Amino acid sequence: MIKELIFYSFSSVLICSSLAVVLFRNPVYSAVSLILSFITSGFLWLLLEAEFLAIVLILVYVGAVMVLFLFVIMMLNINEEKEKLSFNSIAPFAVFIGLIIVIELITIIWINSNQFSNSSTVIQQSSQMGNTLLLGTELFTNYILDFEIAGFILLLAIIVAISLTLRPRKNLKTQVTSEQINVDPKKRMKLIDMKETK
Amino acid sequence: MLTLQSYLTLGAIIFSIGVIGIVINRKNIIIIMMCTELLLIAVNFNFIAFSYFNQDLAGQIFVFFILTVAAAEAAIGLAILVALYRNKKTIDVQELKSLRN
Repeated sequence: MIKELIFYSFSSVLICSSLAVVLFRNPVYSAVSLILSFITSGFLWLLLEAEFLAIVLILVYVGAVMVLFLFVIMMLNINEEKEKLSFNSIAPFAVFIGLIIVIELITIIWINSNQFSNSSTVIQQSSQMGNTLLLGTELFTNYILDFEIAGFILLLAIIVAISLTLRPRKNLKTQVTSEQINVDPKKRMKLIDMKETK
Repeated sequence: MLTLQSYLTLGAIIFSIGVIGIVINRKNIIIIMMCTELLLIAVNFNFIAFSYFNQDLAGQIFVFFILTVAAAEAAIGLAILVALYRNKKTIDVQELKSLRN
């Protein structure tokens, strides 16, 4: 009973904050609403016994990604006099299409509900092993290649983000490595004979 | 009684909100990227719900990788946005039409 109460209240909070992300005019308000929806979905994942992923969602998304979003919003200075209409002209038609998508999806989900009914009674997973331990065991044995590929993707993201935003200054005095390597010692140094002086 | 359908319905509603948000937006690209994050959250909801109701851990593994890729995508997207703002001085969706015609 308490689980149903938590599910319905949290999911209504989640839907309202997702609507707020879309509908707010100021991007800072949208970012803060998105933080609320991340935290709420983290709590909902706790109901589904995905504890590790819930904590990772809150740590990585709220702690890193949304802070990045807010930094970019702060730096870009986009709050100009843009107080015209914040939605474009096809917005009513798009909302109509979106409602059709919702109705179709919900119909498809609920029309064959006996298909899921055998799996709706859940046996509790072995509670002496935590979710993190199970996930880690699975990740480091069966999915080790995928794990390393994920690490490589993160490395690639670091390199791409830095190389996209790095802008060298005009009169920066740096090493020119190719000239340093290709230098000819004979041009740089001249050996001369000297008489021995006193 | 919470069934799988409840969670799938929630995921469907969030996904549709994200799609509508991408389409009707006219202000700037940042809100479009936030709507992409909403879409990913909705998909992750479905994965975790199936993982719980089928007692299969593969769904949670998949969500782990989706989170990794989404973080990388957000970082690269914001870097592209900063580079775009430097060159064009705007991130308004209506102004970015230099590839048109």
